[in-house]
Amino acid sequence: MFYREAGQFKTSYAADMAVFPIRQDRIGLAVILMIAFVGIPLFGNQFFLSSVMIPFLVFSLAAIGLNILTGYTGLISLGTAAFMGVGAYACYKLTTFFPDVNLIVWILASGFVSALVGVLFGLPSLRIKGFYLAVATLAAQFFLQWSFVRVPWLYNYNTSGAIEVPEHDLFGIPITGPNALPETRYLVLLTIVTVLTWFASNLIHGRIGRAWMAVRDMDIAAELMGIKLLDTKLLAFAVSSFYAGVAGACMVFLWYGSAEPEVFTINQSFLILFMVIIGGLGSLLGSFLGAALIYMLPIALRVLPASLGVPIAAATVEHLQFIIVGALIIFFLIVEPHGLARLWQTGKQKLRMWPFPY
Amino acid sequence: MDILYKIFVDPFVQMGAAPDLLVQTMWEGLVAGVLYALIALGFVLIFKASGVFNFAQGIMVVFAGLTLVGLHEMGVPAFLAVILTLGVMFLIAVAVERVVLRPLVNQPDIILFMATFGITYLLIGIGELIFGGNPKRMIAKELYLPSGSVEFQTLGGFVQLQKIDIAASVIAAIMIAVLAFFFQKTRIGRALRAVADSHKAALSVGISLNQIWVIVWFTAGIVALVTGIMWGARSDVSFALQIIALKALPVLILGGFTSVPGAIVGGLIIGIGEKLGEFYWGPLVGGGIESWLAYFIALGFLLFRPQGLFGEKIIERI
Amino acid sequence: MRAPGDGHGIMAGDVLLAVDGVSLSFGGVKAITDVSFDIRKGEIRAIIGPNGAGKTSMLNVINGFYHPQKGRITFKGEMRRRMRPYEAASQGIARTFQNVALFKGMSTIDNIMAGRTLKMHENFFWQCLRHGPAMREEVEHRRFVEEIIDFLEIQAIRKTPVGKLPYGLQKRVELGRALAMEPELLLLDEPMAGMNLEEKEDMSRFIVDVNNQYGTTIALIEHDIGVVMDLSDRVVVLEYGRKIADGSPAEVSSDQAVIDAYLGVPH
Ligand SMILES: Nc1ncnc2c1ncn2[C@@H]1O[C@H](COP(=O)(O)OP(=O)(O)OP(=O)(O)O)[C@@H](O)[C@H]1O
Ligand SMILES: [Mg+2]
Repeated sequence: MFYREAGQFKTSYAADMAVFPIRQDRIGLAVILMIAFVGIPLFGNQFFLSSVMIPFLVFSLAAIGLNILTGYTGLISLGTAAFMGVGAYACYKLTTFFPDVNLIVWILASGFVSALVGVLFGLPSLRIKGFYLAVATLAAQFFLQWSFVRVPWLYNYNTSGAIEVPEHDLFGIPITGPNALPETRYLVLLTIVTVLTWFASNLIHGRIGRAWMAVRDMDIAAELMGIKLLDTKLLAFAVSSFYAGVAGACMVFLWYGSAEPEVFTINQSFLILFMVIIGGLGSLLGSFLGAALIYMLPIALRVLPASLGVPIAAATVEHLQFIIVGALIIFFLIVEPHGLARLWQTGKQKLRMWPFPY
Repeated sequence: MDILYKIFVDPFVQMGAAPDLLVQTMWEGLVAGVLYALIALGFVLIFKASGVFNFAQGIMVVFAGLTLVGLHEMGVPAFLAVILTLGVMFLIAVAVERVVLRPLVNQPDIILFMATFGITYLLIGIGELIFGGNPKRMIAKELYLPSGSVEFQTLGGFVQLQKIDIAASVIAAIMIAVLAFFFQKTRIGRALRAVADSHKAALSVGISLNQIWVIVWFTAGIVALVTGIMWGARSDVSFALQIIALKALPVLILGGFTSVPGAIVGGLIIGIGEKLGEFYWGPLVGGGIESWLAYFIALGFLLFRPQGLFGEKIIERI
Repeated sequence: MRAPGDGHGIMAGDVLLAVDGVSLSFGGVKAITDVSFDIRKGEIRAIIGPNGAGKTSMLNVINGFYHPQKGRITFKGEMRRRMRPYEAASQGIARTFQNVALFKGMSTIDNIMAGRTLKMHENFFWQCLRHGPAMREEVEHRRFVEEIIDFLEIQAIRKTPVGKLPYGLQKRVELGRALAMEPELLLLDEPMAGMNLEEKEDMSRFIVDVNNQYGTTIALIEHDIGVVMDLSDRVVVLEYGRKIADGSPAEVSSDQAVIDAYLGVPH
């Protein structure tokens, strides 16, 4: 009853073209943002902030990046984690060279480095299509992962081969390192994710997003309409890798505090791909839902049975996770190939019609 | 200049100076290539008949090997374990057809591709849950596979061949011959080839599409078991093999997704290419380039021949 | 809609596009053999012929999707060995496809808006913000697209994903997408195939209106001879990749070769 658009007449094209044309949706978004920015930092405990919300946001950002490439532009990538790695190592190098510059600047700058590398590995997409392109992204995955191990310059010749994040301040408040409070790290990350999500949404709803989707749906027709395929695909690679790079930098600087090359393996890439599939290809909302589901699943598996008094061994949890993720993928592809996001839409549609069945 | 010399001249000088090492390296590449080719082969079977890009083929290899060893550990005699494992692979084929392929028929290729990711994860999870995540030793001796090595004195040095490698190559050759016979000469084989061209043609042979899917997935399962045994006998059986199994993808790219000879030639090129690359050029950059070289070789080929070595050039229509 | 400006000095009746000695083959298959004809500004030019005659291939050559082995294409006075897709589109050639080639996952509006891509220029930065110039541009083009939607009478399906539309409407949306490019030359590949009588009448009306109101030159492939006779100014007939006749509908339909090759053959 309350979810109605009746009485809300759109008086201009601009209003009709808004990303959330229905008022209740806008209110909903505002409430979510309020909870995220105020409620969670106020009431969330240490564990919830550092081990649930921060990882969730990092993965959401990476999933948005992959969704731009795979969901919106139709180019499969199996190398997302490697581009996250590029962002992480770039940020590490940049902060060692110029430790006094604001960290946020370097986090964004490492996104650009990652974008550049992404464009490089996207070049074959001119000649290679579909599954074949997956191999190009595998080349990126394994080559970059190899570099993280074999190029000591990247980790400042540390004997451990890992990168350690020193303390950085933002307006005098530490945002990385051991003294940074989870609340601070969470808020910084949340701000980055919010702004970048807004950008992504804007891009997708405009000329560039339409060109991406046109290439995804019917590349030949798009080309004959004057959409330059290579430019469009490379832009998708660039933007996608930018998001992955920023996510990677945030992962190491705002979450882990240090990282080894093993963080950026192909299995990580797969997990992000699953987040996108299960959440919904071609949906920003889906990127968040998918990240939540895939990341929270193991946590829930660990916490829930224990709280019910049925402890499960850690190894078993891991195996169960594989099985559940595998089953979920198949389930969603069969029942709702558009993922969680579409389920949400359908639910909303039902609510709009309620209490009438049609 | 020095770096150019090291890249373009020195490796060849080394090859000429120690031809026995060159032969040894090429042999090792060849054996790796045979195993890549076998994975690629299982993949081609499925792609040809059902158009599904089966990402799970590598996992099927591990899963088959693991089941075999696991059953033996539970006290089942070796050859009975082989038969039981075949039964398991058949069940997987049926399950895949029922649960995954049938509901997803007529979906875009990419959806089916993603579904095989689901199969991959299911197999990993189930395999580890039942048999544990630790690497296992293949029951090579129990299956009367040879061990040890033979040495030849040639080219002013020694070339050492592992007997298991020789056996692997021979068995691979036999299996490919059997498959070729199966496809060319038997009724089911011809039906399978027909289905690759048109689904209606297959129906007219009197075999339902569903049966055909079960058959190809089972055939791919058999190939996976053989591959798993050979591979397991050389190293260990563990899910770490999964990463190596991904190298079947560049092999396929080289050979074309639908060509059996392509899979074999592609496998050999990749296997030999990456071993030579690692041995002669790897040290220049600190080694370990084997992990990505295969993909770059395939990518290089692809830029010049997007249709693969044996594929025909297709001009898109609209 | 605005009439497309012709700042190239090509007046109604002048040759807009000329195809000269074009031959195209795929491996051994000869799709087009030494075909020449021209299209004059402002006319509706029909291309007819039996199945496999090479009509679609001809359109593909004109907008640069296929590259002919021999021949030349002159468009707006500029001669080329071959067209390139981007060039063709930016020079004002738009088209629809025999088998609908819409962007299935996008709504009607987005499909037609995609046709405006070449006319939209606001940079990446403004696109990220979707405010200021980017939004103004978006609104301005949306207004243009709404005019097309009104013209084609598809207001009700504005926001429907086109994959869910019935075939007849999809063809209409596809025409809209081509019109959004404000083309000088519009290539229509069997726009009425698979339609019922009423839908055909609607589509014919749209084609004539586009031609009359905006002066858009149209090349039309169509199997329905009645439609061709009614709509077109001149007809070129292909058979097995060769041109066998060229002239007014009346001339062509009385041509013996055409009667033998095409009209006599049921299709
Ligand atoms: N991409 C391609 N690859 C191979 N052969 C092609 C290709 N495109 C067209 N052909 C061949 O060229 C010939 C002409 O085809 P075309 O599609 O131009 O015919 P058409 O006149 O449009 O026929 P229809 O009335 O059936 O649409 C046919 O023999 C066709 O098989
Ligand atoms: Mg045609």
